[in-house]
Amino acid sequence: MNRLSNALVAIASAVALAACGSASPPSGDAATVELRWYCCLGTGEQAEQVKVQQKVIEKFHAAQRRIRVKLEVVTYDSARDTLATQIASGNGPDLAGPVGVGGAAAFHGRWLDLAPLIRSSGFDLSPYAKGSADLYRIGSVQEGIPFAIYPSTLYYKADMFEEAGLAEPPHKYGEKYTWPDGRQSEWNYDTLRELALRLTVDKNGKDATQAGFDPGEIVQYGFEPARDDLRYQGAAFASGSLDTGDGKTVKIPDAWADAWRFFYDGMWKDRFIMTGPVFESEQFNGDGASFFSGHVAMSVNFLWSTYGVAGAGDDWDLAAMPSYKGRTTSPTSADTFRILSGSKHPAEAFEFLAYLVGPASQELLSAYGAMPARTADQEAFFAKLAGQFTHKVDWQVAKDSVAFADNPHSESYTPKYNQTLTILGTYRSRWMTKGGLDMNAQLKEMREEIQAAWNRS
Amino acid sequence: MTPTPARRIRTALMTIVMFGIVVAFLSPLVQMMLSSLKSERQVSQAHAPLLPSDPRTFTHEGRRYDVYRVPVDGAVRELALVKKGRAESEFVDPAAPEKGTVTWQGSWRTLEPSWTLAPHWSNYAAVWKLIDFPRLLLNTIALAVISTIGTVLSCTLVAYGFARFRFPGRGPLFTLLIATIFLPTAVTLIPTYAIFAQIGWVGTWLPLLVPAFFGNAYSVFLLRQYFLTIPREMDEAASIDGAGPLRTLRSVIVPQAWPAIAAVTLFNFVYTWNDYFTPLIYLSGRPELQPLQVGLAAFNGLYSTKPAYIQAGAMMTITVPVILFICFQRTFVRGIMSTGVEK
Amino acid sequence: MSRPARREARYGFLFVLPWIIGFLAFTALPMAATFVFTFLNISPAEQEPLMFVGLANYRRLFADQQAWASLWVTARFALLWLPLVVALPFLLAVAVNSRYLRGAGLVRVLLFMPYVVPFVAGALIWQNMLVDDGWINTALHWLGVGGAPSWLSDPAWVIPGLAMIGLWGLGSGIIINLAGLRGIPTELYDAARLDGAGWWRRLWHVTIPMMSPVIFYTLVLAVVEVMQYFLIPLVLFNGTGDPGGATRFFNLYLYQTFFTYQEMSYGSTLAWLLFVITLVVTLVLFRLSRRWVHYTSER
Repeated sequence: MNRLSNALVAIASAVALAACGSASPPSGDAATVELRWYCCLGTGEQAEQVKVQQKVIEKFHAAQRRIRVKLEVVTYDSARDTLATQIASGNGPDLAGPVGVGGAAAFHGRWLDLAPLIRSSGFDLSPYAKGSADLYRIGSVQEGIPFAIYPSTLYYKADMFEEAGLAEPPHKYGEKYTWPDGRQSEWNYDTLRELALRLTVDKNGKDATQAGFDPGEIVQYGFEPARDDLRYQGAAFASGSLDTGDGKTVKIPDAWADAWRFFYDGMWKDRFIMTGPVFESEQFNGDGASFFSGHVAMSVNFLWSTYGVAGAGDDWDLAAMPSYKGRTTSPTSADTFRILSGSKHPAEAFEFLAYLVGPASQELLSAYGAMPARTADQEAFFAKLAGQFTHKVDWQVAKDSVAFADNPHSESYTPKYNQTLTILGTYRSRWMTKGGLDMNAQLKEMREEIQAAWNRS
Repeated sequence: MTPTPARRIRTALMTIVMFGIVVAFLSPLVQMMLSSLKSERQVSQAHAPLLPSDPRTFTHEGRRYDVYRVPVDGAVRELALVKKGRAESEFVDPAAPEKGTVTWQGSWRTLEPSWTLAPHWSNYAAVWKLIDFPRLLLNTIALAVISTIGTVLSCTLVAYGFARFRFPGRGPLFTLLIATIFLPTAVTLIPTYAIFAQIGWVGTWLPLLVPAFFGNAYSVFLLRQYFLTIPREMDEAASIDGAGPLRTLRSVIVPQAWPAIAAVTLFNFVYTWNDYFTPLIYLSGRPELQPLQVGLAAFNGLYSTKPAYIQAGAMMTITVPVILFICFQRTFVRGIMSTGVEK
Repeated sequence: MSRPARREARYGFLFVLPWIIGFLAFTALPMAATFVFTFLNISPAEQEPLMFVGLANYRRLFADQQAWASLWVTARFALLWLPLVVALPFLLAVAVNSRYLRGAGLVRVLLFMPYVVPFVAGALIWQNMLVDDGWINTALHWLGVGGAPSWLSDPAWVIPGLAMIGLWGLGSGIIINLAGLRGIPTELYDAARLDGAGWWRRLWHVTIPMMSPVIFYTLVLAVVEVMQYFLIPLVLFNGTGDPGGATRFFNLYLYQTFFTYQEMSYGSTLAWLLFVITLVVTLVLFRLSRRWVHYTSER
């Protein structure tokens, strides 16, 4: 019996150690260093993209012999859990990417600060758009290297506007919207709402402003917000953060609360936004891409949506983001590669990272459909993007949108990051699936629930 | 004895109702097959036909237009919609485009599109490549075969021990074995994962295969119950002939218990084939090692906007278990019967 | 102990040894370790030093509304699921066993077949059936049901929707029940008929009592399974608990706590709670079974 209990204690402590992440260093050849590149906390999981990433690695191998890189592809759906588990069991990779602001925030405190490496290697940060470097600061990380940025714009279907006899939304920031009767309105969310109502059509061809409109048989929706993430939805109105600044107290920004009420009423009262069940149905091509189904007139989305937007037909174009209370915000996603602080080979990892964001960047960016953070590369990128579509798209809108990036970023770190995300996700899903809720009570309840999570030490 | 009319009616009713239930029960498989052959265009169309079809289109002056069934002067004509409007729309007759456009009063949305039957078999080819089906299939077969061998070997030995030998603590140990059936797996998950991570097994097949060689409660139970029905006299005769316990197992018990062993083999094969959670957590960073179920779930995440692809993928993963089942359904049924009756 | 008896014991022990080793390595010790974890603060995400924290995890558990909410989700599913999964296979088995049914063998095989469909594929196949424009709602529409529910995206209907998916695997239950039915001696029915008992009385007074061990067996296994239920919602909703938290089953919450939040100690506490609840429920069932389960012979 005594032996058994001894063994038990020994195993339990070994397990505890393992769970805390004391890992044995990987033994390897002294001459070569093996790096693990962890993929798909953001984009990069599509078969074609994986191929390009492999090709980039092969080129890197051909150029030098000292560093070998292994790509680990985990699909986006399980990428965060898997990385967290790997790190926790002391089995973390050396670098990860492309990873956006949210993905980086989810692993707050796990990233290596690149500032010393940037300085010691003399890496030149000047070719990048001013301010874009702000997007890469996460917590203790002073500096990340800019790689890809994705501004948000309003995607719209020009043919639906034409059918309804309406003018298309403005392409230039600051321009007004002109109605058929010549009246001009500020290009803001009130105007968008009015437009969206007229562009929501039932199967008899009646729009949502007409008598006899049948909300049970809608075949075309006026607007699709950034549905995936409530914070993104909020930031499309105005940037903000749930954190009041002390890292302890939760406050829902007023603009976000307005954005969420707009979302909720749009679904259940005004009917120009599809409810959850409709969003899930095959006809509307669920899972965040309902604009691609070709049954939605307007949609706020990141530039990366160009990957599947061809499904919407060849009449879509880009317009300026609407304003909220006189200010315009274009939530901007920023992807880069990051080195894990647990990496045994930070210098080598940085060498590879510098290669990814440098010589290999063109190839990778075009595989990801990402807009280069390096201003000099942007023209070539848009020229290539334009070549993918048979019709003319006003790409200038995307370029102009960068000036309206959200700061603080909506996906920035907050305490209990993953728990907070779960709570937001649950409310989002509840709002999508349940009509008749009192939104003020919902917002209060949500704030309290997040606060309770933050209060837990 | 000729059946009475009442009896005939009852028979007819019962048979019709039961086959109705069977049809309803299997209808998801039919919907899967039909959906797997649909085009994306059909999937995103309201009130589309049940069968895989394509909307008819007509190319006019370099652009493609949808063809609708338009009621004109009491007859239904198939016309291509070239200019959409809320109150009136313009159409072109595909048979005579040179005649110019026809204006039709009313909302085009009330019109029915014209469909032509078109199963997209190419979906399967596309999924086969995208999901890297041969690799997933090989992984699944290898995992299922190895762990089934492990389970059958170990469970036969353990069941033999419990069935044929008296040793101190046999009763409590057997109870303990049965009790593990009731244990939630979560209560052992984290330490097990941590140990496997510590010894470098995470990201390999070992955590999936090694435990199979240490027996599992269901199979041991099933085999033991069957072994108990084999008359002891046969063992004794063998041992008089000088056979040791292992030889007795091989030459007497195994040949007699063949139906039970076959059932255990099949069940474990199907179980491993269908297992999702264990490979998910141990192989999540290694797509090249993953089995079908994990690959299919990941595929679902990647291509959720293409329901036809998802259904084609589902179809491909169920083929092997269903074929196995059709070939060996008697063994399956007998295996389940023996667990159920004895308890 | 005599020498042959010792020899026999030695052999017996040797044959059982693989399982004993496996049990210790993969069940007993990990279980004990999980228990030890509940008194520590293992939570790699917080990067705190390892400490003994006493009952802090248990105190947190009692104050954790999400944990109790998720337990309630599991309980609600169980309340709907358990009667179905016990009664339907029994009734279908009675029907398949009926002398009025032609083609019983074929019916049996076809009802059993979906049991071998891998559940990931099964979940995706059913998702296709249950979406708004799927066959289920199309059929309901034909039958004149207005406003058919959104099975997988309405918090109020998702539990029945999941139950429907689960019922696809009831084939094995039918077979077990069939085996039980065939084991009932025909004399009992003959005697009941002589007493003038009709179909219902025979079912009630002969079939059900004779089948009680089988019904009990299916019930106990179903309870153990339902307590751990979460894989199908995990696949369908990618572990989010959507719609609106209605599918955040207890085991899903546990899984999230382990893998997403990396709170090993608190997750271990949840795991032990699950274990204790399962244990208590099974023990109660066994206790109650003495009142209604009839074993014809002692084995």
